[in-house]
Formats: sequence, C-alpha cells, structure tokens
Amino acid sequence: MDHRPQSIAPDNTIEDFEVAMNRRQTNHHPAPVIDSSRRTFLYGLGASLGSVALTAMLADDAKGTANDDGPLAPKPGHFPAKAKHCIFLMMEGGPSHIDTFDPKPMLEKMHLKEFTREGEQKSAMESGKRYYVKSPFKFRKAGESGADMSDNWHHLAGVADELCFFRGCQVDSVNHPTAMYQMNCGNRFGGDPAIGSWVTYGLGSENQDLPGFLVFPEISYPQGGAANWSNGYLPAYFQGTPLRPKGSPILDLQPPADVTAGRQRMNLDLLAKLNQRHAVDRPDQEELAARMASYELAFRMQTQVPDAIDLSGEDAKTLQLYGIGEEETDSFGRKCLLARKMIEKGVRFIQLYNGTWDSHDYIERAHGNLIRGVDKPIAALIQDLKRCGLLENTLVVWCGEFGRTPDNGIRGGVAYGRDHNPNAMTIWTAGGGCNAGHTIGATDEMGMTAVEEVHHVRDFHVTLLRLLGLDDNKLTFYHAGRFKQLSQFGGQVIEKLIA
Amino acid sequence: MVFGQDEKQASIDQAAGAEASDNEVLFARRISGLLVEKCLGCHGADPDDINGGLDLRNRQGAVAGGDTEEASLVVGDAESSPLYLAATRESDDWSPMPPKDAEALSPEQLAWLKEWIEGGAQWPDKDRVERIAKQYDDQWSVEDGVTVPTSGGLADTWTNRRYDPRGLWAYQPLNKPDLTSEESSKHPIDALLQRAQPSEKVGGETLPLRVAPRASRRELIRRATFDLTGLPPSPEQVDSFVNDSRDDATAFGELVQGLLDSPHYGERMAQHWLDVVRYADSSGFANDYERGNAWRYRDYVIRAFNDDKPYDQFIREQIAGDEIDPNNPEATIATGFLRMGPWELTGMEVAKVARQRFLDDVTNSVGETFLAHSLQCARCHDHKFDPVPTRDYYSIQAVFATTQLAEREAPFLDFENTSGFEEQRYLKERKKEYEQTLNALDEVLMENALSWYADRQASPKKWLEAVEFVSKNQPGNVNFNAVRNRMAKMGVPEDQYPPKLVGFTPQQFGMERVARKGIQRLGWQFDRYRPYALAVYNGRTPSFKGVYAPLRVPADRMKKGELEQTCVLTGGDPFSPSDPVRAGGLSVLDGQLNMEFPDTVEQRRETLANWIADANNPLTPRVIANRLWQWHFGIAIAGNPNNFGSTGKRPTHPQLLDWLAATFIENGWSIKQMHHIIMSSEAYQRSTRHPDPERLDRLDPMGQSYSVYQRRRLTAEELRDAMLAASGELNRELGGIPCRPIINQEAALQPRMVMGTFAAAWQPNPLPKDRNRRSIYTLKLRGLVDPLMEVFNAPPPDFSCEGREASTVTPQVFALFNGRNSHDRALSLAIRAIETTDSDRAAIFDCFRRLYGRRPDPEELELCLKHWRQVETLIDEDPASSKLPVRIVREAVEENTGERFSFEETLYFNEDFVPDHDPSKITRRARGLADICLTLINSNEFAYVD
Repeated sequence: MDHRPQSIAPDNTIEDFEVAMNRRQTNHHPAPVIDSSRRTFLYGLGASLGSVALTAMLADDAKGTANDDGPLAPKPGHFPAKAKHCIFLMMEGGPSHIDTFDPKPMLEKMHLKEFTREGEQKSAMESGKRYYVKSPFKFRKAGESGADMSDNWHHLAGVADELCFFRGCQVDSVNHPTAMYQMNCGNRFGGDPAIGSWVTYGLGSENQDLPGFLVFPEISYPQGGAANWSNGYLPAYFQGTPLRPKGSPILDLQPPADVTAGRQRMNLDLLAKLNQRHAVDRPDQEELAARMASYELAFRMQTQVPDAIDLSGEDAKTLQLYGIGEEETDSFGRKCLLARKMIEKGVRFIQLYNGTWDSHDYIERAHGNLIRGVDKPIAALIQDLKRCGLLENTLVVWCGEFGRTPDNGIRGGVAYGRDHNPNAMTIWTAGGGCNAGHTIGATDEMGMTAVEEVHHVRDFHVTLLRLLGLDDNKLTFYHAGRFKQLSQFGGQVIEKLIA
Repeated sequence: MVFGQDEKQASIDQAAGAEASDNEVLFARRISGLLVEKCLGCHGADPDDINGGLDLRNRQGAVAGGDTEEASLVVGDAESSPLYLAATRESDDWSPMPPKDAEALSPEQLAWLKEWIEGGAQWPDKDRVERIAKQYDDQWSVEDGVTVPTSGGLADTWTNRRYDPRGLWAYQPLNKPDLTSEESSKHPIDALLQRAQPSEKVGGETLPLRVAPRASRRELIRRATFDLTGLPPSPEQVDSFVNDSRDDATAFGELVQGLLDSPHYGERMAQHWLDVVRYADSSGFANDYERGNAWRYRDYVIRAFNDDKPYDQFIREQIAGDEIDPNNPEATIATGFLRMGPWELTGMEVAKVARQRFLDDVTNSVGETFLAHSLQCARCHDHKFDPVPTRDYYSIQAVFATTQLAEREAPFLDFENTSGFEEQRYLKERKKEYEQTLNALDEVLMENALSWYADRQASPKKWLEAVEFVSKNQPGNVNFNAVRNRMAKMGVPEDQYPPKLVGFTPQQFGMERVARKGIQRLGWQFDRYRPYALAVYNGRTPSFKGVYAPLRVPADRMKKGELEQTCVLTGGDPFSPSDPVRAGGLSVLDGQLNMEFPDTVEQRRETLANWIADANNPLTPRVIANRLWQWHFGIAIAGNPNNFGSTGKRPTHPQLLDWLAATFIENGWSIKQMHHIIMSSEAYQRSTRHPDPERLDRLDPMGQSYSVYQRRRLTAEELRDAMLAASGELNRELGGIPCRPIINQEAALQPRMVMGTFAAAWQPNPLPKDRNRRSIYTLKLRGLVDPLMEVFNAPPPDFSCEGREASTVTPQVFALFNGRNSHDRALSLAIRAIETTDSDRAAIFDCFRRLYGRRPDPEELELCLKHWRQVETLIDEDPASSKLPVRIVREAVEENTGERFSFEETLYFNEDFVPDHDPSKITRRARGLADICLTLINSNEFAYVD
C-alpha cells in the first residue's frame, strides 16, 4: 500500500493535534474518511463532473447509488435540517439594494444635493464632488406580505410571499474579488473553501454519481475566478464543479476532432494493457489502480455529460416559464431550469452566477437590464420548485458581494450610478425553512449603512449552515495550525431569518 | 448565604502571606488559566461586550450569572452549576461551552473544574495567584509542563501558562546525536533511522521490520534525475549508468555529482522554493496586474541554488539584500521575496488597510518560510498554542514598518537572460490599436455632444466656445473630456453640458473600457523589458489613493509620508493601535540569540535577517533540513514544514532532523552537500517494493519508517517538462522573461473579468522554441492558471505550499488524454522517432526509451506494432487544425448598461504563430505512432517515479 499522504488527512491531524494538546478525543468533526483506497477516487471527482455511473444523470428519477463510505456519502448534520439543498444565486458585482428591494424615499428629497464623507477610512472612491442620487425606479408593495420591490420586478412580485428579505448584512471589503471571496468562502483573501464545499464536506450529497457542488458561471468568470468555488484546504472531492455555459462544459471533455470514439477506445485498451503489465510487480497499489479506473470513468463521461445538461427535451411550457428562448432571459433561464433538474437529482449545492451588477454609471439602464434578465427565470425557479414539492427543503439565496452607495461621484456626470458599499446590502432567501414573508433588519434613511439587525456576513453564513442542519462551530477542518471554519472565528445564528 | 461566602472569600484574598488552601492552589494552577483560555474571550475580555451578560472575570460575576439571572457558579455543587454543566457539553439546559468543539474541555480539565467548585470555588486575586504560582513553580514544572519566557502576552495568565515540553522541541538548541561505535560503519542517516525502526515480538524475539532491497540502477537514475532536475534522464544517460562497471556507490555518487552540476538542478530546487514563497507574475485580486519584473527574482532563486549559495546568505539577501549590498542589483532583485504575496491598492480601498495587508502578509511569510511559524495566528491575540505573543508578531512587523514597495532600478546583469525582449513589439501594436479605438470613440463623443444639444433643443454655443478654447490652448489634444473640463471651469452647471460618455451604445461603452484600461494594464507589461526589479526600499510610507502603474522609489523617500510607529493592533485592526513595539524577533529565542534591533529607518531588515540566519537559531537550520528531506522523500521528518509549533506534526525522527541540521551548518550551509549526504544513504536508494508488504503495512501503517522508498506521481511541471524532453522539443535555455505555452484554447480565450474590464486573451509565444520551455518559466498569472497545471495539483499562489498533493481526479484524464498539449507532444515524438529510425520496431524502441528510459519487452513491442497497424486504418479525417485565431470575438456583460456586448480582440502574437509541426510530416503513419506515444504518456509508468 502506498502511504504517501493524499491530502491533509483530517483524522490523523486531529489525532496529532490532540496528542499535542493533551485533549480528550473528540469525534465531533464530521471529517470524512479520506484514505487512499481505490473507492474514494470513484466519488465526487473533484474538479470535474461525474463519477461511477453517470448514467444516473440521464434518468429523470435517478437518485444515484447510495454509498456509505465515499467522501460524498450522505452524512447526518448536527441539527435537524430545515433545508437539504441550496441554490445560491450570486449577482456578481454588487446589486444596489436601493434600486431593488430597499426603497429610500429620502433620496427623492436629497437628489443631487452634495454628499460629503470624512474620516480616516476615506478612500479615493470618495474623492471629488459627490451627489445623492435617487433611484430611477418606482417602488411598490408586493404580495400579501407587502414586500418592497422596485416595480420592474414583474415576475418576482408574484412569489413575493415566499421571500425573506434581510437588510442587516455587512461585509469587510470594498473590492469585488475580496468581497466575493468573503461572501463565498468567508475569508477575504481567497484560498479558503467555498460554502458549497463546506456543505458537501459536512453533509455529503444524496447523489453519489454527481458532484455535490455545481457552479454555473457566466461566460466570463467573475473577478477572483475559480477561487470563488474552490475547495480550499478541504480535499479535492468537495471542489465546486463549473459547467461552462459555452463551448465544452468541462475543459477537454472531448478529444481532438479527428480522434473518433473507436480510435480512442483502442488507445484506452492499449493503455489498460500497459498499466496492467506495470502493475504486475506492484500489487496492492491502489493509487495506481484508481488512476486506471479514472480513465474508464472519463471515457463514459465524455458522451454522457453533454446529454445530461441538454435542455432540448424540455416541454415548451417549461421553457417558456423560465424565459428560455427569449433573448434577455435565455441565459439565466437555462441555468435556473438546470438547477431545478439537478436539485431533483439530489445535488447538494448549486451556485448560479449572473452579472456584472457593478453599475457605477447609468444605473437605470444597467440595473434595468440586469433585473429583466433574472426576474422571470428566478420567479420561475421558485414556482417550479414549489410545484415539485422541492421548495420546502431547498434554500434559495439571492445576493451580491456588497450593496451600493446612495451617492455618486462625478464620473457619471448626470448619468447616475452607484459605488460599492460594504455596509448595506439586501439578501433574500426563499424556501428551506427561511422566514418567508418577512423583511428583517433595516438600513438608514439613505441606505448608507445597516442600522437594525446588523450582522457581519459571518453570521449569515452561520445561519445558512444552520438551516442546512450544520453547526459552524463543528464544521471545522484542521489547517495551517488551527481548526478552520466557514465563519473564520465563529458567529451567531440570526434567529429572525429562520421560520 | 452566597453573598456571605463571597465576603469571606474576599477576606481570604486579602490575607497576604496566608497559607494557600488546596482549593486556592487548584484555582491558581488550573482554573485561572482555563477561564482565560476557554471563557474570557466572550465573558470578560471586553467589558463593554460581555456575551449573555455573564462576566467571568471574578467570582461575583460568576455567582451572579448572566441574563438568565441564574447563578452560573453554585459553590459546592458542580452538578447544579451552569458553568460546569455547559462545559460538560452534555446538559439539556445549557448549550455547550466553549461553543467550538475544537476547544472543548478535556475530561481532566472537567474534573479540575468539578473539584474546584465542590471544594469551595475559592477565587484568589491576581497577585495571590502569582504568589502561589511562584511558590509551587518547581513542582508544577515537573508535573504540568514548563513555562516559557517570552516578551509577554496581553494577559499574565498567557505569559505564565505552561507548555507540554514535547511541543517545544523546535526551540531547543540543536543536539547533534553521536553515533555509537556499532553504528559508525553505517551511513549516519541509516543508523539514525534504524534506531526508530519498527519491530514486533515474534516468539519472544524482537524482529525489526526488514527494509526493502536496493532499487535497480534503472530506477535509481530516473529517481535521482527527476529529484534533482525535474527532468527524465536521456536514454544515453540511462545506458551509461546501467552499464557503469564500477561499484554502486561510486557510480551513483558520480551520477549525483553530475546532476548537481547540471543547470537544471537550480530550476528544480527553485520550483520547490517558489511553492513556499508563492511566486506569481501577477498581483492578484481585482486588477491582477502583471508583475513585469518578478521573473528576475525567479531567476535569482535558480542561480542561488545552482551556485550553491550558502543558505544563510540566501536568507539575508531575500530579506535585506538592498541594505546589505545596496549597489548590487542582484541583492536588490533578491528582495523580490518580500513582494511575493498578492497585493494591490484600488481606488475603492482605504490605503492604510492595503498597507496593513502588505505588512501582515510579509510578517507571516517570513515566519512560515524561514521559521516554520504561522505567525498570523498571533495577529489578533497571543498565540493560542505556541509561545508567540502578539507583541512578537508586531515586533517582527515593526521590522517592515519602514519597508516600502517599489519596482526599483536594477541594471541587467551579464548573467541574466535578456533575450526575447523584441516581443514587446506585439504589445506596442496592441497599445496602438487601443489608442486608435479611444480616438475614434472620442470623435463619436464629440458628435454625440452636438446631438445631445439638438435633442434638448439647446444651444451648443458655449460648448463650441469650449472646443475652440481647448483647440487653441491644448493643440492636438481636443478631446471630449478636455472640453467637458473646460465647461466646468467656465462655470457651466453640470446638467447643462453633455455627460461623460454621452450617447454611447453598450458596444461603445465596453470598447472604451477595454481600450482605456487595456493601456493601463500594458504599462505593467512593458516594465518587463526594463531594468527594474520587483523590490523594496526603506523610507516613510507615502500616501497613495490607488496604484495603477509600477511604483518607483520617490526622490523624497525620507521626507514625505508617515514614519510608521508600529503598535500592537487590537484585533489586528490598523485603526486600533495600542502599545507601541520595537522591531525584534521571536522572544522565545531570546536566551539563544542576542541581537539588538535598531530603531532607525535602515538596517531593521538586515538585523532580522541576521537573527534568522544565525547558526544559533534553532529553527532556521531545522526548517531547511526538514524541507530538503521532504524534497527527496516526499514526506518531511516534521510533517508540517511550515509549522513547527505545537499544532504541527512532531518530527518522526527528531535525532535525524537535528543531525541533518547540525551537519548542514558544519558544511557551511551548503545545500548541495546535503543532497550528497541524503542521496548516498541506503534509505534513499531503496526499492519502492517491499519483500513483505503485509508486514510493512502492519508495522508501518503511516509509511514513516523509510523501509521502502515511496513512489511518487510526477508534479504538473515535471509531467509537462518530461513530455517536452522526450519529444525533443524542450528548449533548455535558462532564465529570462516568462514564456507562454499553448494552453487549452477555451481557457485561453475565455473573457476574464478584472477591475472594470477584461484581461487580454492568453496568447502563446509565436515560435515553438520560445514557448516549449521548462514550466518554471511559464507566465504565472494568479487569475488564469493553465488548466493542465491546475488539475495536476500545481498549487495556487494564495497560500504557501509546504508540500504538493497528488490527488487522482478525472479532469486529469481530460487534460492528459484529450488535451492538445499531450497530443502535440505525442505527435512530435512520433515524427521524430520515424525520422531517426528505419523500421517500425526501431521507432517503437525509440519512443519507449525516451518516455520510459527502457526498451519494450517483446510482448509490449508486439502489442504496439499491432496497435499501430490497426489505428492507422481508423485514421481518415484530417488532423485537427493547429492554427490559432488572430481575431476573436469576446462576449461579456457590459458594466455601464448591464447589456451583453461583444468586442473583437486582435491577437497580435498569433499572427506570427508557427505550429509545432511541419504539416507535411503529419502522415498517417506518424499519427498512428502518435497514438501509441499518447498512450505511453498517459500510462502509470510514465506518470510515476519508482
């Protein structure tokens, strides 16, 4: 047996750690057994889609094979879970709370009055002459709960009572990638595991034949790139698997055009023979065997993946519901429909990207277009999840990496936009045990900073984990000298966000 | 009644000199520290923010309880005391405390707590606790571990806490073990390993685990060559070594010497080093600007290893080269080490925060790299486990308080590779195109401005006046913005002249950004060809609003800006300074190292470098000896080479580690000497196959006995370099500006968002010789990693990488079996094999020799010949085109409008692209053989080193 460590083996390190610290043995870390045995290589194959019997993806009712001891095997959480799955709608760039879900009538009065800000924490962003800027959009109350929404959310208004709005969240960073890292991974500087990695690490996934954590990025990756769905220091099985929206869904999924399937099969057969000969005097080398097996898996995946993500078989009504086929909504509509399908198949965590919402100028036009692009697909997703009975155990999260300022510099002249604001934003959740029909927290009358139910994003992360049945303080992994966790150093549950 | 007891307690507390009761002693010895470690963080450290209202700073608070208004401490009854119940984590009424499982009390600690409560819960005050501790010091040291003198923690309980001496191994002076006379016939490494050799009792007899036999010469040359150069041996080298008639030791010794003399040795070692220091050619984060001059530091590291620069000097130059040898460009280049972390200052960020990010980064990096201490653990509080007070963290940080970032002038040196600079003409073409775009767009704006007036039925009279004024006063520069500025100066209200970017379509908005920011980005790239070094200088901290171009040393570096006074930062927040600190090292080593740190602007880093590189520093030589061992055996003696603290893995062979470290210093800090020593051991030369695997598994389940040599998978870089070496395409030139190989085209052309725009597409070097260079020379962008490297576990430069992983995941198959890179290498090898041989058999022989370092056996030969014939019949289509696009359309969402837009990008490098193969040579026969080569490349025999 080859003893070369495959990764930081959490059980070993914990043991070492406890010997060192003369602590009692604890078994509270839901660390999966990461041994180098062959079977662990056959599940949740890290940076890729796929696994043993990818055919499961094709069968509508498939839940995949259950397996007790793979790294992605389903595991009980620490609490009874309100939600089993999560769909995270990441509006990259920082959507303006002021122009979407947090109306600020005061800005009507202050419109184009000069804005000043002082203090040692002033950045270049705040230099030059700045003005208050009112929202170009009209607001209205939606649903029985009377949720605030700008009136260009035509479709989302129809599901307003399913949503729980949270206006108290704050983050630390004013730059996109660092704020994105913090929203996605807890740590501003990148390199830490994403929420989806933590959740699949803690809960495994219901479908052993699909990755537990899928990502549907835009054609252009967000700032900070793939580190936004990285497994960080967690084992590679928990990495987010991006399905690219254009070209090959997974890089190099297909061989060069002139290599036919028959020819590739022949090459694989030769490879197997060579590897078997090599293995003859290296018996029990599971690492070598696993590598041989991975070639067969890959061969199957290259025919099956494109079929699995093909939406052409969907009925016209469904496509219409999601706005697929309409220019503005097609792109995000496809992601939303695919997300619903993957949730049905038992995928634990799916993150959808949209953007960029970084509207420094011309916010009416930019946010107007962006809202149009996601309004119908998101409403369809919520309706459709509800229709399938999936909404109650699927937590849907909508957010960006920060909110936007009530003011604008001269850069847009009279072409009003808004800059980055880490002190105020709107997050909403739906399904999965969230406090639907309520708006929690508030920002000041200008929308400058959260003033009620104010929480650092770490508390939101802790709450999100709690809804999924996980305790942030128990969901830890030993790395670089300490037990690390999503919230970094611990946080508190925001009880009001939970039904 | 409770109150009465408190009063009584108080009187005991004040009775100075009174004999301490057992219960008091228990408090002083166990409970007071426990409270600090486990409770006070939330229940007293910050009196203004006490969780749940429960104040555990004193007995009154504990007895009063928190918001539940229930006493937390019921004297005499632990089972009724919430303080105890919460700590047991088994109560239904009280949630587990401390909340984190990792911080749970041990059964022993719980027993203390119980005993203390039931014995009266006496709570002597601070002074009395100190007196008791002093009185019992000797006894406790034996029983509880030792106190460790440091510069002192934020609280006395931290300062006086006790450590398990086993966790302090790394601070002990080196203790070189003596070999017994019996052992003296053996290689010291083997003798010291033997001392720890696992054994088992069989029939009353102790049988040590047997060790594997010596590896074959064929295995050894492949192992040694990859280990020391990262490249495979050539077939000729293999033959010569295998047929060397001299004894094994002599033949192998000579082989090792030859490899150490190879210039590729430095490239391999530098790769290890760059993993630790997080080398990249870009700055990361929002802009991910290129660091045009980083390559000079990379080459410095390669040179240092090739020249066997004494390691202490290597340390000094990287930390303080500019101070030690100010007129030597090489020394300035070396300080690039201090710049390796990601860093930027955008207009959005507060400058002081960004400055603090640099200081934190460099402090931690020095700690991890040279001292195996993750110092960031002490940024916000005294280190939880190690004797590193937060004061020390800021003392080390104070060393860098006068260190400023700059791309410094450093003339090119004769031995630097400065070829290939002519490639900047492609960048100039791009710049020209951007400028033309901006000019054209400006004309559009000037027209739109008039339309703007027309739409409003307003008179453009003033606007035209402004245009005329500008054209008179700023000839040649009549641009829209200049006119707008003029309007502002003329006092025209802003809503009465056209806004910025008036009337742009989404397309035009997008184009404007791409061009304007593209020019800014090119500025960083042009620096690559100029005599500057990614470096630092000493001076005051200048005030910046944003950094958009390479920084230079300001003329007034000692006058302008803030002279930083480092303070302990509460919670690590640069806006919450508390006690000022002086520059210094780790105070836990004060007894072993006496060094006075200056308060001057200069020489702080030199002092720290001397402190680290001092032969009496017990950490430094152990850290590098441990790394060197790991670079040969795949596992380190102390399992976390970046963390020698108590939470890191303890050394499996502490005597061996000390022997290596002491020997290293005796040999003048020579790294090459260490390779000789390590590689001449039996342990290094053992086979990967054990004669009794079952017993090996039982007696050495963690693989720590070195009874076999651990097989390893090639790293990402070795895989690529070995393919190029085998196909004969590897350009073995040393050093120079980064090269850009052909990477997956979809990844290369995917629009990549950076601040406010899209980074340019990845374009390979036009000529094969320029792009088919060793992987260490490829351009390392933090925001765009070659997918081939990524899937094979090349570490991202976010964290220091103390050891490579080698996981097996399916994307590796896609990259290596389907990806263009391996297909191209396979075809090159096939073409070459056909050209240089005269039969099918000979061609297959050649491919095996180049890829495996051996001949095929008859069965393999037959298998391959048959495969070749069969596969040829399946080849009917033309090969995939190897051409690269010259103009591409990129799609993205435009920031100003939120609408999708696309823009064309000209790939100037691709205009001159020369494919790797001459199309006339891509025959059916060659393609058939290429399939065999591709298969060999994908096989385990190629990917693993025995």
